[in-house]
Amino acid sequence: MIKTTKLVFQNFKFLFLSMIIFSSMMVVLLIISEYIFLEPYFVTHIPSGTEFGFFLITAISALSALVIPMNLFRIINLKSSKQKMSGSIVGSIVGSVAGACSCGPVGFAVISTFGSVGATATAFLTNYETPLRIIAIAILIITFFTTIKSLKIECKINFQS
Amino acid sequence: MNKKGAILGIVVISIIIGIAAFASSPSETYDLDMARTHGDISTAMGSPILGNPLAPITIVEFGDYQCHQCYNWFHNTKPMIMRDYIETGKANLVFVDFAFLGKDSPKASQATYCADDQGKYWEYHNSLYTSQESKIDSGWANSERLKAFAFNLDLDMALFNECLDSEKYSKRIQYNSQQARDNGVRGTPGFFIVGPDDQKQIAGAQPFSVFQRIMDSMV
Repeated sequence: MIKTTKLVFQNFKFLFLSMIIFSSMMVVLLIISEYIFLEPYFVTHIPSGTEFGFFLITAISALSALVIPMNLFRIINLKSSKQKMSGSIVGSIVGSVAGACSCGPVGFAVISTFGSVGATATAFLTNYETPLRIIAIAILIITFFTTIKSLKIECKINFQS
Repeated sequence: MNKKGAILGIVVISIIIGIAAFASSPSETYDLDMARTHGDISTAMGSPILGNPLAPITIVEFGDYQCHQCYNWFHNTKPMIMRDYIETGKANLVFVDFAFLGKDSPKASQATYCADDQGKYWEYHNSLYTSQESKIDSGWANSERLKAFAFNLDLDMALFNECLDSEKYSKRIQYNSQQARDNGVRGTPGFFIVGPDDQKQIAGAQPFSVFQRIMDSMV
């Protein structure tokens, strides 16, 4: 598993992509979930009782940064199918959207634009934020292991041919 | 002649129905200082002032009782603001309802003013933020639970129930929510720190250090 992961990330392009995905997802999700504020001053904080939410955001960002570049590596270098890529994208999107729409500006914009439908969607995403993020992490972990497995097989085939 | 009589009859009946409907519609009269403003914000329909009314700084909080970030602010930041600014007379606080998150939000806000009728606005406000559950519209703030909170505060239940069931304060909540929109609040909690010379906006459940920095620069 470590060898396969190294195979992908020893390529600087994929390592750089991974860092970009992690940092951008982390910063955006932390701003949306109000762990980081930019105005009136730049400030970061983890309020008491929200530590688990912070952990879930970190896990989703890290797993997305691991799984998305690995799948891109498969597609670009091994000309593999794009099937497993969807798992990583779905996992990242579910993890990002859950909790994004609560009482902050995103939720307010959704409710103002879509009325009662928006309010229902916002309530659902807020009420099930933690389970949705756990599901997203599960999807990303499964995608990670299936990607490792397929990389092992496809790389052997490629090396042999 | 018959046609004219029928038209006249319809007109008379319409007028009578109109007068009856107007007379039976619940009237909302509040004993409020409608001129009360803090900075650019009309807080006339907001909460009673918490703390010294003559304090040089006023914190105007726009909030929703079902908002979990408001809950976070109430439990993490507000106690320190109470200790260092409100109890020392340096600042006071006004809560203005921005009830947009779910169907139980406006009802919860109305209930606070029903409690205010009996002089227990802040006690009721605190009991809502202490009892808030994480799920929106899960029933924790439905009419029955709102009445239970009133019962726990020893309010006159006949008066409270009549106030809540008649939706006496529904327009007051609409007015307050419109104030939020008019002042550019785009989520809850939203704050305005109104000082002697200027006002500053804070969006979100920001930590105490941010409020401290702004308020210390105003005094």
